[in-house]
Amino acid sequence: MTSQLVVSSDTVILGIETSCDETAAAVVMGGNDVVSSVVSSQIDVHAEFGGVVPEVASRAHLESINPVVRRAIDDAGIDEGRIDAIACTVGPGLIGALLVGVSSAKALALAWDVPFVGVNHLEAHLYASFLEDPTLEFPLVVLLVSGGHTMLIEMQGHGEYRLLGRTIDDAAGEAFDKVARYLQLGYPGGPAIDRAANEGNPEAVKFPRAMMDEGLNFSFSGLKTSVVNFVRKNPSVDSVDIAASFQQAVSDVLVHKALKAAREVGATGVVLGGGVAANTQLRADLQAACAAEGIGAFLPGREMCTDNAAMIAAAGWHRLRALGPSRLDIGAFPSMPLVETGIADG
Amino acid sequence: MIVLAIESATESVGVSLASSDGVLASVEISRGRRHAESIVPCVQFVCERAEVELAEVGAIAVDVGPGLFTGMRVGIATAKSLSMALGIPMVPMTSLEVLAIGESTTDDIIVPVVDARKSEVFWAMYRRSDHGVELLHQPTVGSVDDLISDLMARDQPAVCIGDGAQRYREDITAGFTCVIGDVRHPSAAVLAVEGVRRAVREETVDERLVEPVYLRQPDAQINWSTRQVRS
Ligand SMILES: [Zn+2]
Repeated sequence: MTSQLVVSSDTVILGIETSCDETAAAVVMGGNDVVSSVVSSQIDVHAEFGGVVPEVASRAHLESINPVVRRAIDDAGIDEGRIDAIACTVGPGLIGALLVGVSSAKALALAWDVPFVGVNHLEAHLYASFLEDPTLEFPLVVLLVSGGHTMLIEMQGHGEYRLLGRTIDDAAGEAFDKVARYLQLGYPGGPAIDRAANEGNPEAVKFPRAMMDEGLNFSFSGLKTSVVNFVRKNPSVDSVDIAASFQQAVSDVLVHKALKAAREVGATGVVLGGGVAANTQLRADLQAACAAEGIGAFLPGREMCTDNAAMIAAAGWHRLRALGPSRLDIGAFPSMPLVETGIADG
Repeated sequence: MIVLAIESATESVGVSLASSDGVLASVEISRGRRHAESIVPCVQFVCERAEVELAEVGAIAVDVGPGLFTGMRVGIATAKSLSMALGIPMVPMTSLEVLAIGESTTDDIIVPVVDARKSEVFWAMYRRSDHGVELLHQPTVGSVDDLISDLMARDQPAVCIGDGAQRYREDITAGFTCVIGDVRHPSAAVLAVEGVRRAVREETVDERLVEPVYLRQPDAQINWSTRQVRS
């Protein structure tokens, strides 16, 4: 195998991401210089089902992976010989989807004789903010909200995380998808609710804010049920008002707990990540709350909040520098926790 | 011409290197079902043992299914990315064809049958020919009863091979008198040797044209619980 790679600001990493419904590849230099980033979304193929169908996702990843990698390299305007390492999401995610990216990434690493580094998708979301602002100072609180996750994480340093709180049932993004589906606003639910809420009154309905004063965990399944019950009893209320009120309830809880977490750990600021981080209301509310608190609010651009491969390459750069490459006999880890070991000990 | 073959469409996973002299190195693992973990280390192993550099490989042969969806995808993704990165063409073959070529000494109709789960099988029919096998019946998917109807319609001596033939041995032979052969999984070595023959005849294709053969629509079930792990 390759001689030991010295990871530096010149190190060029090809990142690959296939954990859910986006096939993505990116070229990132030095851990934070995004040279190219290509995301091929499968939203259209899943829209008719109203959610991500695992087998459909896996098939689409196989079709897209090589074209997406090729385009990332072309867009970067580099020769493939310039790539120093391949980083790829190994978990958490849909097993069949993850395996397409992992197989392809390992094959590229073997063919080009460069190191392969397995990346935790959640850790990569934490690094999305560093892509835009490498000067962020620890400790930070990260609010990670997506279709599969709702967590508050303390980031004490590179590779040092502590889980502060998480959802005990549905993820916030899952609640968005389910409510959007119930209100027949379309798929995916996040952007659909966001658009509808823009026209509605967020104070029209006072939906419950679950577990507001109980620690740092979240619960969203009750909120979804409240929406369903309310609409049943009040069929005449405009769906844009329901959407706006629902969105406000989610945002209130997320922001309240993120600030509480920041106070508890003495964070320099709150970093937002995950697909739901693209939500207009949440971004505005978090920004205002952090300003009032006198701490930073770090809101990566929408493209960096949603799944992409630049964040994978960035996390891969840090992991490669700290722990070295991963072994080529690893597979995928569908329920990989944020704090994990064993993927980079080769 | 050296060909690297990757075979992972059934429960077995195999990697083989062959040249015009025949098989150079081959490894097959039929237990464990850890396709994604095994393939790349197996490629490294056969290359090291046979003293072949990847740069010397002229084409990648791959089994494109039908078979177990996740297993075959892992092999196809690996093979296509190797092909793209090395800048060499591919030789795609179906699992049924690889099974048939491995059995091509008989004069009977060769019927590869791959277990498709859910009480179904994938099958096709072949006949030995001057240059390997000739396709008589297109790859298809159906119940064992459907397979038996096809065998009865042709009504010729037949040998059924593959994990589907072995799993449904009693049902098949109760419906149609035929031989159930010993071959269980498609062989990477057969794929590699046939790959060399085709590569020499320049019957190769660009990586972009290689597609999996699923023969079955995906289950359109959204499993909300699988999204727990989504981000
Ligand atoms: Zn994500």
